Amino acid sequence: MTSGTTTRALAGSVASDVLAAPRRRRAKPRKDRAGYLFLLPWFIGMLFTIIPFFASLYLAFTDYNLLNAPQWIGFGNFREMLDDPLLRQSLKVTFIYTFVSVPLSLVVALGVAMMLNRGIRGLSVYRAVFYLPSLLGGSVAIVLLWKYIFGFDGIVNGFLGWFGIDGPGWTTDPDYALTTLIILHIWTFGSPMVIFLAGLRQIPTMYYEAAATDGASRWRQFRSITLPLLSPIIFFNLIQSLISSFQTFTQGFIMSGGTGGPADSTIFYNLYLYQQGFSQFHMGYASAMAWVLLVIIAAFTALNFLAAKYWVFYDN
Amino acid sequence: MAGLAGLAGLGLSACGRGFGGGDDEPAAGTVQLNMVWWGDAKRAEKTQAALDIFQRKNPGITIKTEYQDSGPYKDKLATRFAAGDAPDLMAMRMDSLREYADRGALLDLTSHSGAVDLSGLSESARTLAAVGDKTYGVPAGLNAIGFVINKTLTDKYGVQIPDGNTWSWADLSTFSQAITKASGKKVYGTNFDASTLANLIVFTRQQGEDFYTADGALGVTEATMVAWFDMFNQMRASGAMPPAGFIEDVGSSAEASYLAKGSIASQIIPTNNFLVYKEAAGGNLALLRIPGETQAKRRGQSVDCPHLWSIASASKHQAEALKLLNFLVNDIDASKATGTTRGVPASSKIAEELKPSLTPDDQVATEYLIGLQGENLPRSYTYPPGSSKIQSSLESIATEVEFKRQTPQQAAKAFIDAGRKALGK
Repeated sequence: MTSGTTTRALAGSVASDVLAAPRRRRAKPRKDRAGYLFLLPWFIGMLFTIIPFFASLYLAFTDYNLLNAPQWIGFGNFREMLDDPLLRQSLKVTFIYTFVSVPLSLVVALGVAMMLNRGIRGLSVYRAVFYLPSLLGGSVAIVLLWKYIFGFDGIVNGFLGWFGIDGPGWTTDPDYALTTLIILHIWTFGSPMVIFLAGLRQIPTMYYEAAATDGASRWRQFRSITLPLLSPIIFFNLIQSLISSFQTFTQGFIMSGGTGGPADSTIFYNLYLYQQGFSQFHMGYASAMAWVLLVIIAAFTALNFLAAKYWVFYDN
Repeated sequence: MAGLAGLAGLGLSACGRGFGGGDDEPAAGTVQLNMVWWGDAKRAEKTQAALDIFQRKNPGITIKTEYQDSGPYKDKLATRFAAGDAPDLMAMRMDSLREYADRGALLDLTSHSGAVDLSGLSESARTLAAVGDKTYGVPAGLNAIGFVINKTLTDKYGVQIPDGNTWSWADLSTFSQAITKASGKKVYGTNFDASTLANLIVFTRQQGEDFYTADGALGVTEATMVAWFDMFNQMRASGAMPPAGFIEDVGSSAEASYLAKGSIASQIIPTNNFLVYKEAAGGNLALLRIPGETQAKRRGQSVDCPHLWSIASASKHQAEALKLLNFLVNDIDASKATGTTRGVPASSKIAEELKPSLTPDDQVATEYLIGLQGENLPRSYTYPPGSSKIQSSLESIATEVEFKRQTPQQAAKAFIDAGRKALGK
């Protein structure tokens, strides 16, 4: 009862803010109400985001061990972060992972999208097959499967064995573990690929026809037509991939059994944050880390938007 | 500020009620206890049998149990406490005890001695759980670490098992090399973790040092750490142990272990898991002491416990939780139901009573432990707060050594530095 009233009041106030058109509101109150009703789950979901959001901002400035009340310590957590070798390691792992796997997976995604865009028969089947890994890639089951494929006696080392190569411990050797995860990430190129494919189909074929008549090579067509016209899509995919890559957690957690090992080589920023918060009773510090990550992601996104002026072409 | 804090608290407690609780409301007049622990399905079966007896004897109390694998248990428990939804009775890791107890999250059992009778505890059990003059948990059982050897494999390759009471670390290496050689590297002689604290602690005690001192500092010396890492490097080089990278993280169950797979012939296990390992490895295991006990400066082995039973100080049903704890510790029917899945009962009286009813296999590990208990072993001290950090830095440093990214000397120094920093002393 109460929650119903609150929601209606909330919906009402939002409505007057957003629409600022009392006449229209009076004319179609029924329609509005239905709209907000559909938004209701989102509003309720928002509460579960907003409350922890502000709670974590407060906790970032406290010493909070989960068991006792948080103690205000100002910038203590942030000062501690400056002198934390494991935090530096986690940033290094996350940056290497992001800056190697994001460009590579976008190149692979674009390549496969262009291949599929040649009007081959059974496109929807191929599209689904290539998309499948990205539905599963972040999932526990696939990471476990990956672990077997790249296991010491796994398929990959078995294959290398045919050529007389003693494969390394792909998941146990600190020099290879991150590489294995990067390969897994590249394999999950499906969602940018599908978006690329949609983008490619929007490019009018007459451009290519005209270019071909003028004798432009395929490479020239790709550089002068495909890339510029696709640049907004590339930009979108880049931002999406960067953000999700900075937040990588599952792959590192499952592959290393939660430790970030071998020898801290897969200790992603979010994994270290989790360890601090839930294994080391250091929730204030973990909250501070979360806010630093937010700033890092915001900075990279802003940088991308600034750079976009120089290479993203909007053909309106 | 206070407003925000209030908001945070509100958010957390609201979540706790929404998700963590989620329990069916007990019938009027009855009390529902929540009990959490880690282990496998076998242990669950035995535990449930004991709880059924308790519920029959105490009609007003129902028990809702939750169990899971040991790895994620720790994080889950911390989250439950943070959400204000602490379980009434819980399995408490030895290395987490102080992290909870020092922050007032656990009930001091010495002030409830009327409800839980601790007088039957053996001397080793009593000292294990003591934090100063307080007691925040009762050992759920007593165990030690032991060396198990797969006799099927030693018979197959014609290698003789050394005398388990007097063997040295060198004997272990010779034995293991013989297996690896005879099997043509199909089976490696042995493998155990350089990063498992329980293993390192025994080795440290053998050198005449305490890993953790009485005042909660790091007592192990750099020289001992160098010797520890050196030993692993030599065993890997000689083929006694599999090469770097061979062993992957396969979880903590006996079924998934390399011993069960038959790719190694021996390893170190907690003695309370002897039964499950024996079954998983094909039914023919010998249980030996840790090598080096007779050659060392002093005895390294000690009587430990797989975990404690603790009660949350925030529990709303303390009287009932104490009653259940008392049942688990002092009722012979409880121990008959659980057997030795968590080790030999902490109460000597119950342990004596239980012994005749154990199966022959169960008696192997029980005799082993009772034998140790009768000997004059140096006392070991409770894990100080910060020890979970020490565990994780040991894991990564041991890997650095395994892959030759650090020499034993560098690793030893790095470990001692990290350890001192984690303990703040």
